[in-house]
Amino acid sequence: MPLAFKFALREMRGGLRGFYVFLACIALGTGTIAAVNSLAYGLTDGIRAEGQSLLGGDVSFSLIHRQASAAEESFLRERGNVSVAATLRAMARTGDGGQTLVELKGVDAAYPLYGEGVLLSGRGLQTALGGGGERTPAVVEDTLLETAGLSVGDPISLGRLEAQIVDVIEREPDRLSGGIGFGPRVMIPIDALERSGLVGTGSLVRWRYRLSGFEGPLDDGSLAGLVAEANGAFPSAGWRVETRTEAAPGLRRSIDRFAQFLTLVGLTSLAVGGVGVANAVRAYLARKRGTIATLRSLGAPGRLVFATYFTQIVLLALAGIAVGLVIGAAAPPLAGMFLADLLPVSGLFSLFPGALALAALYGLMTAVAFAIWPLGAAYTVKPTALFRDDPQIGKRAIGGPIFWATAIAIGLLAGLAILAAYDRWVAMIYVAGAGAIFLLLRVVAQLIVAGARALPRSRSTVVRLAVANIHRRGALTPTVTLSLGLSLTLLVTLSLVDGNLRSTLTSRLPAEAPSFFFVDIQDREKAGFLERLAVIAPGAEVQSQPMLRGRIVALNGIASVDWPETEASWVLRGDRGITYAAVPPGESEIVAGEWWPANGPDGNEVSFAAELAGELGIGVGDTVRVNVLGREMDATVSNLRTVEWESLSINFVMMFSPNVFAGAPHAHLATLTFPGGGDEAAELAVLKEVSETFPTITAIRVKDALETVNGVVSDLALAIRAAAAVTLIASVLVLAGTLAASHRARIYDAVILKTLGARRRTLVAAFALEYMLLALAAALFGIIAGVVAARFIAVDLMELSFVFLPWTAVGAVATAVVVTVGLGLIGTWRALGEQPARVLRAL
Amino acid sequence: MQDHIIIARDVWLTFGRGATEVSVLRGADLTVDTGCTLAITGPSGSGKSTMLMVLGGLERADRGEVMVAGQDMMALSEDELTAFRGRQLGIVFQSFHLIPTMTALENVAVPLEIGKVANARDMARAELAAVGLSDRANHYPAELSGGEQQRVAIARALAPRPSLLLADEPTGNLDEETGNEIADLMFAAARERKQTMILVTHDLELARRCDSVLRVSDGRLHEASETGVAA
Repeated sequence: MPLAFKFALREMRGGLRGFYVFLACIALGTGTIAAVNSLAYGLTDGIRAEGQSLLGGDVSFSLIHRQASAAEESFLRERGNVSVAATLRAMARTGDGGQTLVELKGVDAAYPLYGEGVLLSGRGLQTALGGGGERTPAVVEDTLLETAGLSVGDPISLGRLEAQIVDVIEREPDRLSGGIGFGPRVMIPIDALERSGLVGTGSLVRWRYRLSGFEGPLDDGSLAGLVAEANGAFPSAGWRVETRTEAAPGLRRSIDRFAQFLTLVGLTSLAVGGVGVANAVRAYLARKRGTIATLRSLGAPGRLVFATYFTQIVLLALAGIAVGLVIGAAAPPLAGMFLADLLPVSGLFSLFPGALALAALYGLMTAVAFAIWPLGAAYTVKPTALFRDDPQIGKRAIGGPIFWATAIAIGLLAGLAILAAYDRWVAMIYVAGAGAIFLLLRVVAQLIVAGARALPRSRSTVVRLAVANIHRRGALTPTVTLSLGLSLTLLVTLSLVDGNLRSTLTSRLPAEAPSFFFVDIQDREKAGFLERLAVIAPGAEVQSQPMLRGRIVALNGIASVDWPETEASWVLRGDRGITYAAVPPGESEIVAGEWWPANGPDGNEVSFAAELAGELGIGVGDTVRVNVLGREMDATVSNLRTVEWESLSINFVMMFSPNVFAGAPHAHLATLTFPGGGDEAAELAVLKEVSETFPTITAIRVKDALETVNGVVSDLALAIRAAAAVTLIASVLVLAGTLAASHRARIYDAVILKTLGARRRTLVAAFALEYMLLALAAALFGIIAGVVAARFIAVDLMELSFVFLPWTAVGAVATAVVVTVGLGLIGTWRALGEQPARVLRAL
Repeated sequence: MQDHIIIARDVWLTFGRGATEVSVLRGADLTVDTGCTLAITGPSGSGKSTMLMVLGGLERADRGEVMVAGQDMMALSEDELTAFRGRQLGIVFQSFHLIPTMTALENVAVPLEIGKVANARDMARAELAAVGLSDRANHYPAELSGGEQQRVAIARALAPRPSLLLADEPTGNLDEETGNEIADLMFAAARERKQTMILVTHDLELARRCDSVLRVSDGRLHEASETGVAA
């Protein structure tokens, strides 16, 4: 056994005193990263494993607006079992005159090809939907029953279809392939859709054709062959093809992004914990000064002493990491129990060695990176320490190798954080920001010390003691400033991001925002509908626009899939709402090129949203090829226009010249805006009237839709807060550890002063003042750094607007002062109440 | 064998700078014959422990010449000094300075293990037996009395068979009776092993047991005339 290892084991017999914060910091940070990554791995595995049931088949061909042509459908039916499903938004009306926006889905007898639809009653989905009766059977999600006050057996109307709720959906295997739902799911037999009148020209219906092999699942080779064959046979079908291997790509992207964000939060807790590590190592070595000096006097070279203590730190870190890994390993199955209704959790009930190894590596590298520098003190302790208190100890220059070892360890840690990140640019900014904050806090600490030293001597004993404690040798100032400054920066950042996210979604609903979006207005009913709106909502502003859905197939002849990845790549991924117009929309400004003449241009022209065009890298004169209703059309970008997405009025990425879609069947989209915003009663009256008079028009109430989005955001915010709480716990632990490390010396000083006649009240007031001054200085830094960081996250990463929320900052300052003074005074107060001699003997 | 194990000439050492500057050694000279015992006495703060540290290579003189066991201490690097100490010097401290997390046996074995001696534990066990502590080998320092701790410290200092034993107030923390026992032990060991021993002490009785006694004053070593022993 190497001598350093032998000595390390002997030294560790002394117990873990002073290392609890160290262990907790490493365990918390490692645990967070292990848990987050295990969850992400597990969910991604689950999506892969359940790809078929999530997608509803081995491969899915989906079309918007139109059903597959006879040729397309027979092509598919010749190659496997096909299940057809159609999804759309519609109004469900109840017998008592209520109406609710629902996500309607029509399914055929083959549904689902994979997985199982589970109903509350326990009977099969097809049995429930195949039941005869006067009314069409419908199975619904329980939220519809709750919100509309319905129960099984009640009738509901969907468009012109009279249906009856026959059961409650417990699980819909392909639920996640539909994205965020704005209402509860209602499922009916697909043939009933025809009778509902909801499927008209240009209606926003998505038709999905899912396919599985005749004899079990298709293998990857035949799947790829089939996709290539289908695209070759129908190059202009305009369908979106997804295979089981890439099911739920949006969800996977979200999981990856979210995991990255939470990993950064986990890294922050490790970085904060790193301060705890450094403090613990520094305090430990100070306690071990005698032992180190003894070893040196007995002929132990500096490197042996360093290796001995380095080994101890690594062993302790491994213990903390082990605890963290247990937490990380336990998280996925625990989360699986809670998320079973929301996400594919089948992958969560196993271990994820990759995620655990990554977390362990982070934990170990953090411990090493933060421990090497204070461990360097092992080199500087000389045997003379055994004879006298050497004022030079701790001030001696730590050698080059220690500096370089520290630099390399920190570099490796930063490199790992960047390399393992989903978005390396964000990770690089994070690393640079964290580094800057560490350096700045050091400078701030030095400024505080220098400031305290430069202050004129006060006549008040309390002030004099407090100020002297801030700048004396061995003062707490650097460590408290660092740990408190980091925690406060974090607290302010997270609170401000959270606050801005919420206020963007709630209070930023502009006064001129419409109350309703009406979709699927057919040509023939458009005039009657608009007239009716003018009667039931006099004074309200109504805008309408032709509405089609289409996909961008190519830009400048380059296929969308091959276009370079940019911020705006989402525009190229799915279907976009598109429209045409003779004149530019009133609220838009043409920033490049010119709008086409009122009598129409000679060729096909399109106006593109300026910001997105810039991000995509296209401009005036470029060509855009879109596929709408199975037809591909080229148009030249003739102008770029500004779009105020936040106004919530009708906005389109692309507006075409009217000639492009002349004769194409389509529906219309309309908005209704009450002057000064609508009240509840007026809106509900419109909703009721529209859904009764125009049952096939779907009314989406903006407030309800925003509430749904808010709900999703709240769930995300909750996860962010949970992760942030871990980081805050780490910082409070570090702060408590910092204060505890100096506790003995502090009580010693206090008792000596008490022996000399200082009153308990005076001493406590002096300590409280010292802690308060430090807390205020750290709070000031925390607010400034937190505002900068929060602004960056909100504006540059989340593309929100940013408002400084002063009360949030004040709350952070108050918390800092209370926590620091509270933690600082714990123990001191009690010790001061006892007889000096007794306390001195115990120390 | 050399005649002089220590030759120190014109040794100067100053601590601090500016207002806090203290010149502790100011041209101290010392010559010690191999195998003899020497006591250095003097008032607190006179520099006697500092002189011991300079001789032990624990402190480096600002200038002057320090030869120990034929080695120019001023020419050695920090690591070379450490290695030299491990081979040639045994040091006994007033406060024992045992490592609290190690047993008595392990404490004695430390310098042997550092020196990569093959049978370190067996040799340590023999040294413990020599100071009469065989039965306390597996006790931790906190479980030993002051006298026992100092015996362990002596065993530890003697274990590598050093040519020079330095002791800083070895009986300072002990009662008179225990102090005498410890002194007996040290003198007996020095005699048996023909080791040179230098003691720093306030205790004149202890000093008188040495072959010679020097007194530190004004940063130099002087003959302690009252003892009648010549330097």
